[in-house]
Amino acid sequence: MSADQVRNSAAESSANKISANAKTESSEWDLVITRVFDAPRALVFKAWTETRHLAQWWGPKGFTNPVCEMDLRVGGELRIHMRAPDGVVYPMTGVFEEIVAPERLVFVSSALDGDGKSMFDILNTVLFAEERGKTTLTLQARVITATAQAPQYLKGMEMGWTQSLDRLEEKLATMSD
Amino acid sequence: MNDRLSETFGALADPTRRAILARLASGEASVTELSEPFAMSMPAISKHLKVLERAGLIARGREAQWRPCRLQAGPLQDVAGWVEHYRRFWEESFDRLGDYLQELKREDAGNKNLKSKTKESRHVRRPGKK
Repeated sequence: MSADQVRNSAAESSANKISANAKTESSEWDLVITRVFDAPRALVFKAWTETRHLAQWWGPKGFTNPVCEMDLRVGGELRIHMRAPDGVVYPMTGVFEEIVAPERLVFVSSALDGDGKSMFDILNTVLFAEERGKTTLTLQARVITATAQAPQYLKGMEMGWTQSLDRLEEKLATMSD
Repeated sequence: MNDRLSETFGALADPTRRAILARLASGEASVTELSEPFAMSMPAISKHLKVLERAGLIARGREAQWRPCRLQAGPLQDVAGWVEHYRRFWEESFDRLGDYLQELKREDAGNKNLKSKTKESRHVRRPGKK
């Protein structure tokens, strides 16, 4: 056996290990969230793909969606303006990459800055699986690009919704005093 | 730091670079060692390492001639913090989706009743089927 062959076989075995790792759909830098909903998946899918429904739940507690539009086809756009309880509006757009009703939805979401420029793009894959009338939803998010403002944006948004909770907690604290 | 974060995301977007980081998580390694598992030339690996170094994800030793690569945890923690914000956005949304679906289920049941009523109303108005 030549030195090269030895080297190659050693390389191969570790390559298998590493490529298996690299090819895994999710990595520790992706976000994967799974949630079970007590509803058939056709209904869950509908709640995602019809704006009159989407506007009712999109965003954290206390948020409203004064703008919620979508063009449900591959390449079609999603446009949502979220309004936080503190009045700040967070606009975002999305583009559908894949639509397989009622089991799979893939879209790139982008948060927009004041000039309408994207601050970060995230590839979201949403899977709907039904079992005994319940739907297991899996959301997998992968960051494609992120600009310098991206962390501030999410932090600010989170403050928008935790503030109202904090206020409530403060109130409760003073009440128990 | 914020600029570094976006560079971190860019650096992490590549599977080869993620594999390199995974390898470095188990200890420092030379460029030669790192290039072994990949069907890639040394210059190509060096390019990836430069991206990782610029993003602050790895550091390269100056002391030894083989300049071992080491994992740097800082930027990964920044990314984890950022991803955590995004996670909370969805967790909050899904709480609401869960509540809303219950509403929809009731509405759906109502609609079915309504449909059978309108269908029948062309003939004789009868109470909807259960």
